[in-house]
Amino acid sequence: MIAANENLRLAVPRGRILEELLPLMAEAGIEPEPAFYDKQERKLEFASNIPNLSILRVRSFDIATFVAFGVAQIGIAGRDVLMEFDFPEVYAPLDLGIGACRMVVAQSRELHEKDNPRRWSHVRVATKYPEITRRHFAARGVQAECVKLNGAMEIAPSLGLCRRIVDLVSTGSTLEANGLEEVEEIAKITSRLVVNRAAMKTRPEEIHGWIDRFEEARDAA
Amino acid sequence: MTDLENKALLPAGLRDILPPEAAFEAGIREMLAGTYASHGYDRVKPPLVEFEEGLTSGAGEAVSADTFRLMDPVSQRMMGVRADMTTQVARIAATRLGDLSRPLRLSYTGEVLRIRGTQLRPERQFAQVGAELIGTASAAADIEIIAIAVESLRAIGVPGLSVDLTIPPLVPALMDSMDLSEEDYHALRDAVDRKDVGAVRESGQNLADELSRLMAGTGKADHALDVLSGLALPSAPAGELDRLKAVVEGLGQRIPALDITVDPVENRGFEYHTGIGFTFFARGERGEIGAGGRYVILPNGNEDENGEGEPATGFTLFIDTILRVIPEADLPPRVFVPVGSDDDAVAALRNDGWVTVAALEDANDANDAAVEARRQGCSHIWKAGKPALIE
Repeated sequence: MIAANENLRLAVPRGRILEELLPLMAEAGIEPEPAFYDKQERKLEFASNIPNLSILRVRSFDIATFVAFGVAQIGIAGRDVLMEFDFPEVYAPLDLGIGACRMVVAQSRELHEKDNPRRWSHVRVATKYPEITRRHFAARGVQAECVKLNGAMEIAPSLGLCRRIVDLVSTGSTLEANGLEEVEEIAKITSRLVVNRAAMKTRPEEIHGWIDRFEEARDAA
Repeated sequence: MTDLENKALLPAGLRDILPPEAAFEAGIREMLAGTYASHGYDRVKPPLVEFEEGLTSGAGEAVSADTFRLMDPVSQRMMGVRADMTTQVARIAATRLGDLSRPLRLSYTGEVLRIRGTQLRPERQFAQVGAELIGTASAAADIEIIAIAVESLRAIGVPGLSVDLTIPPLVPALMDSMDLSEEDYHALRDAVDRKDVGAVRESGQNLADELSRLMAGTGKADHALDVLSGLALPSAPAGELDRLKAVVEGLGQRIPALDITVDPVENRGFEYHTGIGFTFFARGERGEIGAGGRYVILPNGNEDENGEGEPATGFTLFIDTILRVIPEADLPPRVFVPVGSDDDAVAALRNDGWVTVAALEDANDANDAAVEARRQGCSHIWKAGKPALIE
């Protein structure tokens, strides 16, 4: 047996979700070192008040990958990222309820008025989520040709890159501002506490302990 | 030169294994197989390629999509390159060795080829070593097969070994009692596979509670068994929970210091298993060391149309993952032998475990000989009737 103080890494996303996550981490008793809060700080791994727990601050899109490969044993990842990568090695045992939004198909308003989605056989879609998009359309018998973009999907239709997009919306104001109309919802998205499968199997008590702490923190919020 | 012209480039997922790793790998495979042989598991060696139906029927269906196929120009039938060896051993047991008395113990080692690697194992060709215990459905067989795998893994020095037990038919049996569309069925199965308690609570209908508590029951064996015995599982396959308990107890007695975990809902990779399944992990290693479980060998269609099939259990170990976790062995000492040395004395040295590298040309002087010895990777040189360390 390896000692219980073996290092444990928690991967957390930079940006928007982090703001919502910090209170939960505090409630769960995790206090990152001061440098963690410094947006200019270049380092990616931070110590915490818990001796064997370090925190990785990475792009939200990379968290599932870090956890799948066991580099981080636990992490906080959006359901969108989990659906896109679909790693069998990642368990998502706890819905933290933060970062709530929806993943939708949208198209330009003019198109929307005369279009009947039943008739689609092939669509070209700009998206950050080519896998989810392909799967979603394939399930309803439509072939999706995806144009992979990493941001600014909303502007693609008006520029003539494609006529439809698949993206996350929270209030819908970005769609509105870009002359887009929602066609259908693919999934409701929230952030999940995710766990590496091998870590869950080989360090069960420790990992379950953290799941319980985050669950209590979520319920207290 | 385009990269297509570079002879060093191999197709994705294929690689050369070089010295000293190749010898190390071969040694590990033989040590593992040696443990099984010492427990009475006789070695079989099926062919690399056989007719498609043989490879992809029964439990082979699980790897059907990953099987390379080629047309046999001679028989004009489709052949497959094996993607897993268990199906082949099961075929041998059901046919050519069908008349041997049971229980039948067989072991094997060989390479398999798959169309796609996985995220964690991008290799498309890798080595398997395994053993199968055929013709008995007893708990003693479940215990023996796990115990010899553990013994063999410990013998080669796998650190932090643990075994995770599961009941593959449990979740499907529970879900069969639900009224689900095919799409919802798969969505719920996915959620259970991901231990996504939130999604299971949403779509688990009358079983939401049962399934969530089963998921919470994963962990150390005693904790898991406590949770499981506290659950009323009216729709659970009869006897499976008792069997699990018996296996945990039996293993605990046979190998007191073994870390055993239980995950009653683990189902991925166990689609064709019919009873207790298990996975081996090493602490700190992201991939599985090996896996196995109980299955049924279907009778050969031509001989017995109404046969029920034969109970069997077995495991497969993944050599590439094992090599990542075990400490590298010390290489045997290597001695450089100048021309004209005493052949018998040098042969005796080899018997003592030394590697001897013979000079093919006379050296000009002692210094030249030492330089050549170094170039041949030798730590010693044969001098005055014994190996001397090179300064």
